[in-house]
Amino acid sequence: MGIQLSNPIKTFRPRPSFGWFWLVLMAAIIIAISIVPALAVGLSSSSAVVTLIVCIPVAISFLVLAFCFPTMRYELGRDQLKLLYGPVLTYRIPLGEIRSIRRRSLSMTIWSTIRFPGIALFKVPYADVGNVKMCATAALNNILLIETEKEKYGLTPADEEAFVAAIRAQMEG
Amino acid sequence: MPQIYIMAAITLSVSLALWGGLTYLLTGHQKRFFWLLLLGLPLSAVANLLLKPQAISAVGRAAHIQPGLGLAAPVWFLAFIVLITPLVEEAIKVLPLLLIPAWKMVTSRVSALWVGFVLGVSFGLGEAIYFAYGVAQSGAYDALPWYAFTGFLNERIMTCFAHGVFTAVLVIGIQRGGRSILYGYLAALGLHLFLNAPTVMYQVQWISYELYNLSLLIPFIVLAVIFEWMRRVVREPNDDQSGNEVVYWQRHIAE
Repeated sequence: MGIQLSNPIKTFRPRPSFGWFWLVLMAAIIIAISIVPALAVGLSSSSAVVTLIVCIPVAISFLVLAFCFPTMRYELGRDQLKLLYGPVLTYRIPLGEIRSIRRRSLSMTIWSTIRFPGIALFKVPYADVGNVKMCATAALNNILLIETEKEKYGLTPADEEAFVAAIRAQMEG
Repeated sequence: MPQIYIMAAITLSVSLALWGGLTYLLTGHQKRFFWLLLLGLPLSAVANLLLKPQAISAVGRAAHIQPGLGLAAPVWFLAFIVLITPLVEEAIKVLPLLLIPAWKMVTSRVSALWVGFVLGVSFGLGEAIYFAYGVAQSGAYDALPWYAFTGFLNERIMTCFAHGVFTAVLVIGIQRGGRSILYGYLAALGLHLFLNAPTVMYQVQWISYELYNLSLLIPFIVLAVIFEWMRRVVREPNDDQSGNEVVYWQRHIAE
C-alpha cells in the first residue's frame, strides 16, 4: 500500500477490502441458480437458451471484474490523476479541473452499476451527491470524493493523507 | 417431496437476503422493521382461499353466471376477476397495522414507507409459499426437477419487491390520513393492475411465455423508479451522510 517513486508517476493502492469475494459470490449465484439449471433442462427449451444468453455474459463479467480486483490503483501524473481497474475502467481527472477534495460517507440508492460491500465501480447514483464515477474498495463509507466542474469521482486510497498531500503538491507546485 | 419446494426454499432465502438486506442498508442499518416480516406470511393464503373465491362466486351467483365459463364469461365479470386480486390483496396487506406495536412504528412518512415495504415483502414471501404449495398439490409438475422452476424464482423475487412498493404507497397514504388513504389505496390498486397486466395478457394468450417472462421486467423497473422517488420525497434532513465530512481542499473561486 506504499508509494512508488521510481518515475514521475506516483502509484497509490486502494485500501484493502473483500470486494472481490462479492463479485465471485454474484457469479456463483448466477451460475448456481440460472446457468446450471438451464443447462440441466437442456438447450431444446427456448427459455433455457434465453437464460443462458443473458446469464453467461453476466457471470463471466463478474468473474473478470473479480480477477481484475488486485489491479485497482490510482496513478498521479504531472497534470492528471488516473483511476484504473484492469483493462475495464480508466478515469482521467485533469488536476487543473479539480474543485474540491473531501472525504465523506454517501447515501445509497437502489440503482447502481457495480456496487457491493467492498467495491464500487463505474457511475453510481447516490441519494445525496448524485452520480459519482467510482473506482473504490468501499461503496458507501469514507469515500474520497474528488469533484471537478463536470464530474464527481469516488476513490479509497489506502494512505489517504499521503495521497491528498501528493495531489495538492502537484496542483500547487 | 415435490421438487418445487426446493426452489421455493431458494426463492425465500434469496428474497429475504435481497429485500431484507436492502431494507437494512437503506434504513441506516435498522433492524426494528424485521419482525414485521412474520405478519404478512399467512395473508396470501387467507386472501386466496377464503376471500377471493368467495367474492367471485358470490358475484357470479348474483349475476346468474355459470361457473367454469372461462373467457366465455361476460366482459364485466372477467374485468371483476382481474380486479378482485388487487382489491383484496392491497386491503389485506395493511391489516397487520391493526396491531398496536405495528401501528406505533408508523411515526413519520419515512417509517410509513419502510413499514409498508416490509409488510408487502412479507406478503410476497407468503404468496411464494402458497403458490409453491398450490403447484405441489396440483401434481401437474411432479415430473420436473427443482431446477426447472427458475421462472418461479425470478417471478417471486420480483413480486416480493412489487408487493413491498404497493404496500408502501398505501401505508404512506394511511399515515397522511384523510383522502390520502383513498388515494394511496387507488394508487396501490393501479400499480398492482399494472404489474398483473403481463400475466393477464399471457392468460388470454395475447403474448408468448418468453415475452411474458421478459415483460415482467418492465413493471419491475417502473416500480423501482417509483420506490426511489418515494424515498426521495419522504427523505429527512438527517439522512444526509455529510455530517462526517472532512474537506481536504477546495478551490477558492474569485468573486
